[in-house]
Amino acid sequence: MKKIILFSTAILIFGCTGDFGDVVNYKDVQNPNLSEESVVGQPNSASIWLTGLERQLANVFNETLVLSELGSDNYVNTQTFFNQFMDQLLIQITDPDMRDTQRQIQRLRELALFGLEKVGPGDPNYNGETEAEFNYFEGLSYLFSGMYFSALPQEPVGVPISSVEHYENAIIAIDAAIAINAKPEYYLAKARANYYLGNKSEAVIAATAALSLDGSFDRIAQFDESNGPSNTFEDALYERATFDDLQPLPTLDFLDPKYSFLTPNEDAPVHYLKAEEAYLILAEAGLADNDIVAARENLTALLDLIASREVRNIDDSIEQRSQVDEGSRPDNASVIVDGRPGLVLDRQNGNVDIPSVSGTSLTFEDISTMQDNDAGLSMLYRTRQEVFIAEGLRMVDMGVKLVIDENEILINENINEGDLGTTAVIPPFISTIVVDLDAFTYDKAAGVANTLINLNDVLVSNKNSDQVVPFE
Amino acid sequence: MKQKLTWMLTPLLVLFITFSYAQEKTVTGVVTDQSGLPLPGVSVVVVGTTNGSQTDFDGNYAVNVNQGGKLKFSYLGQKTVTMTVGASNTINVQLEEDAEALEEVIVTGQGSGIALRKLSTTVDVLNSEDIDKLPANQIDQLLQSTAPSAQVRLSSGQPGTAAIIRTRGPISAASSGTPVVIIDGIRVDNLNSNPQLGIGTGGANVSALADIPMESIERIEYIKGGAATTLYGADAANGIIQIITKKGKDGKSSAYFESSVGAIKATEDFLKYDRTAEAIFQPGWSQQYRVGLSGGSDKFSYNFGGSLYKDDSYNDINEQIRRTFTFGLTARVTDKLRYQGSFSYVNFESNLDYNANTSFSRFSGLEGSARGATDEFTDAEWQDELARYKKIGQLVDISSTTNRFTASNKFIYDVNENFQVNATIGIDNRNTVQEELLSNALQVELGTIAEGTTDQGELTRVLRSAFTVTTDLNLTHKAYTDNFSFVSILGGQFFRSSDRQNRLEGSGGVDGTRSLNNFSEQVFSDFVLENANYGLYFLENVGIYDVAFLEFGGRLDKTTVSGSNTSPLLLPKVGITYNLSDHDFYQDAGISNTISTIKLRANYGEATNFAQPFDQDRTFAQNPFLGSPSFTFDNPGNDELVSERVKTIEFGLELGFFRDRLSFSGTRFIGVTEDALFTPQSAPSSGQLNQIQNIGEVENKGYEFALTATPIQTGKHSLSFNLSYNTVDNLVTDSGGAPPFVVGGFTVLGSVVEEGQSLGYLRGTAAILQDDGSYAFEANTALGDTFAPNFGSMGLNYTYGDFNFFATADYQFGGSITDLSFLLRHLRGTDDTGIPEELIGATSPFNYVNFFVFDSDYLKIRNIGASYNFGDIAKPLFSNIRLSATVTNPFNWTAGNFDPETTGSGISAQNGFASGGFAYGTESAPRTYIASLRFEF
Repeated sequence: MKKIILFSTAILIFGCTGDFGDVVNYKDVQNPNLSEESVVGQPNSASIWLTGLERQLANVFNETLVLSELGSDNYVNTQTFFNQFMDQLLIQITDPDMRDTQRQIQRLRELALFGLEKVGPGDPNYNGETEAEFNYFEGLSYLFSGMYFSALPQEPVGVPISSVEHYENAIIAIDAAIAINAKPEYYLAKARANYYLGNKSEAVIAATAALSLDGSFDRIAQFDESNGPSNTFEDALYERATFDDLQPLPTLDFLDPKYSFLTPNEDAPVHYLKAEEAYLILAEAGLADNDIVAARENLTALLDLIASREVRNIDDSIEQRSQVDEGSRPDNASVIVDGRPGLVLDRQNGNVDIPSVSGTSLTFEDISTMQDNDAGLSMLYRTRQEVFIAEGLRMVDMGVKLVIDENEILINENINEGDLGTTAVIPPFISTIVVDLDAFTYDKAAGVANTLINLNDVLVSNKNSDQVVPFE
Repeated sequence: MKQKLTWMLTPLLVLFITFSYAQEKTVTGVVTDQSGLPLPGVSVVVVGTTNGSQTDFDGNYAVNVNQGGKLKFSYLGQKTVTMTVGASNTINVQLEEDAEALEEVIVTGQGSGIALRKLSTTVDVLNSEDIDKLPANQIDQLLQSTAPSAQVRLSSGQPGTAAIIRTRGPISAASSGTPVVIIDGIRVDNLNSNPQLGIGTGGANVSALADIPMESIERIEYIKGGAATTLYGADAANGIIQIITKKGKDGKSSAYFESSVGAIKATEDFLKYDRTAEAIFQPGWSQQYRVGLSGGSDKFSYNFGGSLYKDDSYNDINEQIRRTFTFGLTARVTDKLRYQGSFSYVNFESNLDYNANTSFSRFSGLEGSARGATDEFTDAEWQDELARYKKIGQLVDISSTTNRFTASNKFIYDVNENFQVNATIGIDNRNTVQEELLSNALQVELGTIAEGTTDQGELTRVLRSAFTVTTDLNLTHKAYTDNFSFVSILGGQFFRSSDRQNRLEGSGGVDGTRSLNNFSEQVFSDFVLENANYGLYFLENVGIYDVAFLEFGGRLDKTTVSGSNTSPLLLPKVGITYNLSDHDFYQDAGISNTISTIKLRANYGEATNFAQPFDQDRTFAQNPFLGSPSFTFDNPGNDELVSERVKTIEFGLELGFFRDRLSFSGTRFIGVTEDALFTPQSAPSSGQLNQIQNIGEVENKGYEFALTATPIQTGKHSLSFNLSYNTVDNLVTDSGGAPPFVVGGFTVLGSVVEEGQSLGYLRGTAAILQDDGSYAFEANTALGDTFAPNFGSMGLNYTYGDFNFFATADYQFGGSITDLSFLLRHLRGTDDTGIPEELIGATSPFNYVNFFVFDSDYLKIRNIGASYNFGDIAKPLFSNIRLSATVTNPFNWTAGNFDPETTGSGISAQNGFASGGFAYGTESAPRTYIASLRFEF
């Protein structure tokens, strides 16, 4: 009997232990996502964080490219999917694309700073190369802030600082990166900041330093087609196919689409800091210094470099120029645009060759006859336009700046409507020709198309303005 | 008709004519009520057997029974009578009213139910008769135009798609407004939008409301929020749809078989181009077979229902199939313990076309003139175009299959006559598989890849498993003194929901496979929501002289969807009801012949909505990026996050005239959502994602009026009407300093939350004509309220003997909606209707969006139906044969020339806001013509 009592008691006691409690405990829930402790202080977290910055850069380009390419003469939007305002340079604080562009650039900064301040120091395997990259991405966020906005806060709900200050801060951050682990693209980023600041000699020094490290470097932003972010601009140019959203200026037809289908898991990259830009900066500095020989040398080197870049042979037959009104835009090789043949490709007749890094209509002959005059400078700007198509520089070259988003104005006590940065900056010589930026005449039967304006000439004739052609 | 049917059934009868009858004697008689009027439908059962009959319209019955046997006569609201069969072959019975049984009892969520007359809140009730009459396959279709104060808007005609359901205005910016659905005390999945990882069809998506079991429903109670939902606690602020299933009754066994066939035709009233119909629409058929069994004794009763349904829709590709069975039972285990169980299974298969906001959509492409205005195409051009659309239609492949199991167990223990213990436990498990096959062939046809491409096929599969377990234990005590009565309820409830989603995507595939293994690139993502909620509740209902009732109680509610710095919420309720007309002096007074019922009521109560699970946590994300892990910031987190709390105060008056032949109900309500969950934009300079916060306040004030009249009620004739009219005045009274934010719609023309405006109002840039004839462009202009502030329903019911005719309709006015198809046509240069010439081409159409916003007023006839009971013409095979015919959605009147209901893209993402402010790109609910024949055994 005693044994039975003992045995029964044992069963009861065992039944009351916590283990069985799990069977009826339904109250606990577990968030499957990562907490801060799972990120900060973990080995190798800095390198994973760095990949996060690369990914964030893709998000930045997904915002800036559509706005800046539509805001320039490069592309016109013929459909409803992408921004509806930038073609007319209606730059408004209420446009959510302003918000998203600003947010992605500032997220890049916040991620870079968190990497420098928290993730890096907490990671036992943190190294100089990664630290340099964190500084570089911080610098890029300031560089983009300066390129696209006349003023923008540099910290959460902070005081907006001007484009010039952003360029200066970009240089400081990138110098920090160079000090740790110099790379050609760091120097080029510094050269670009100095270029837009009009600091010719600093720009030349940095561009030269970049090329001395590598004469054909090409820093790219990559896109993950399967997991995202995929390349939004590739969607606009190619993937949405017959929707034919964005159409290039006919003079640029042969360069479109720079981005096309790559693989099911990787989208075409953006070549955002490439050696070509260093040669173009040096050539422009040459013209500014009345050194036509230096300008010619650099442009020749540029052509040599471009000749070595990848040209993709693609089927672009679904491009109809355009879906809404087929054949309304130049769409065959015989069309002559602005008196120049060979600028338009015949896409319905087999594959076409499209440069995926850089392409240009500039020839060695053009270079040899080039003079140190406005025509020469205009040709250089045409080359900049061609080489940088779909890379977001043209609108910056036009001196156009976006605005701070309405939400930021409402939330941030340091900003009021009307302050610097809250109104669009469009140089007067651009605002008068907004409707002509993408316009052209096309005589289909004669095979002749003419753009209404030559924006490169417009820029050069206004070279004394502070807003464009920074070396003049 | 009757003759024809009799003739048709004759061969069947012949088959059974050889059946021999038992040799008992046949007893006949008439059953009358207290006042001597014949009572139809009285159950007459031979005690101890399952033999029996029912009285006909004149109260007559006939039943075979042995002498000495006992006959039991029972009828709802009458006291049951048992008679012993003597020598006589005639037994006439007069039944007496059972006053207690006549009182309509409302389940009230917890406890053993409380009589309607004791409640200070209103509940819309649909009984099985109302439900059987309508051909609806979905709960939302059923409630539309039948629940007097609910606004149910069918967002698309495609199968299984969701309706936006609301009652007392938009109370929350963080939910779609869909009520909680409870089946026999068990919470079930009510996801009324696409799942988080769901396949994007552009807009209209399959809703969990499409597979709520609709078989064997005894009654539906629609509880509209406020004090009525306090005891339900977490997430009940949007109201409760409570479904009580049939569990069989003590009495004669019965069975039925029903067969329906229908024709389905697209509603073409709102098309811009006739050719859209030519390209897509194609009338279809529906077929349904239903069976039901029920019966039982006083120890055990059961009910079984099953149905098979199929239709092939109004267009060339949609189909839906539904298979359901359900059973319910009641068992008296001991004298004190009863058990009620119910189980249902629903299988729902449907497919969708692309619609609304995707460029693959045929309908929005055609109506939005994506490839030009089809009415301007030459016949030859149109033939090419038509062939293209037909081919695309054949290749579109988006399917959804759902299997749902719901089970409820309820144990009722009567400690004594006045003390009852109720325990409920049950589960709902809903598993959905969505699949989209974007074949190479389809992509070539759509023009997204070059002709001849064979290796860019894509297959996406989304698996969602939603599981909820509900348990509830409560004690109900009743006490009476001479002048007072007390009902006390004390209980605890617990429920836990999990929602697990996996999205699997394959790309780079060839055509001809549905296995993800065959795709060269495979990616997946997952999404998990999990929450546990528990609460203690109590309620005291004090009756004073059986005419006035004071009610007070509350719920202490805790949910895991709250920040670490928060405590459980106490939700109080209090109510008072005064049935003036129940006083003896009143009933004796002459005025009671004119005003037969006067009931006054007032109450205050609180209910909550919780945020999306895990929204309170600060998290980081690790995204795969080109084969490597990558970190980034994710949810910023909020330690202070709590459920938003809706405080409602309500006053009501019920009046009945002429022995309640005319009855009127009026309610004034004021609901204030405090700590409203808003997700405004974070400062872009922070670089962080937006975080949900308890910063808002939303107010909804309104009136609810309902009128029911029965002008004719003679021996065989009965004619009744019902009409409801509701108003809601909605205002965001506080946004906590947050800038206005978009909760629906599009970037430049959004449904916006802003202090001083209606929740989700339409906002965009308006072109305003100036004195000098030019236009000024005013950004952020208020363009109208998406929620129509005036709405209601109406109905008519006429019975003559065995014939019944009914019609239902609903209406709304005062709201606004964007005609997005028009906006698209205008953008594409094919439609400038009403746009000032000075604006066309001069600026972006997004600078004059006011020209695309219209009134959303409508009146729609939803159902017209008729039925005829042939009675026992096919005796003894069938006790009754009923033939019925119904037409749904036959007539529409709208303010604009588009359908203001088709807001497929207006239903936001999971746990998002449903503004319904954008009519766009999906088909209207179709017209159906259904005939059914029901054989009762």
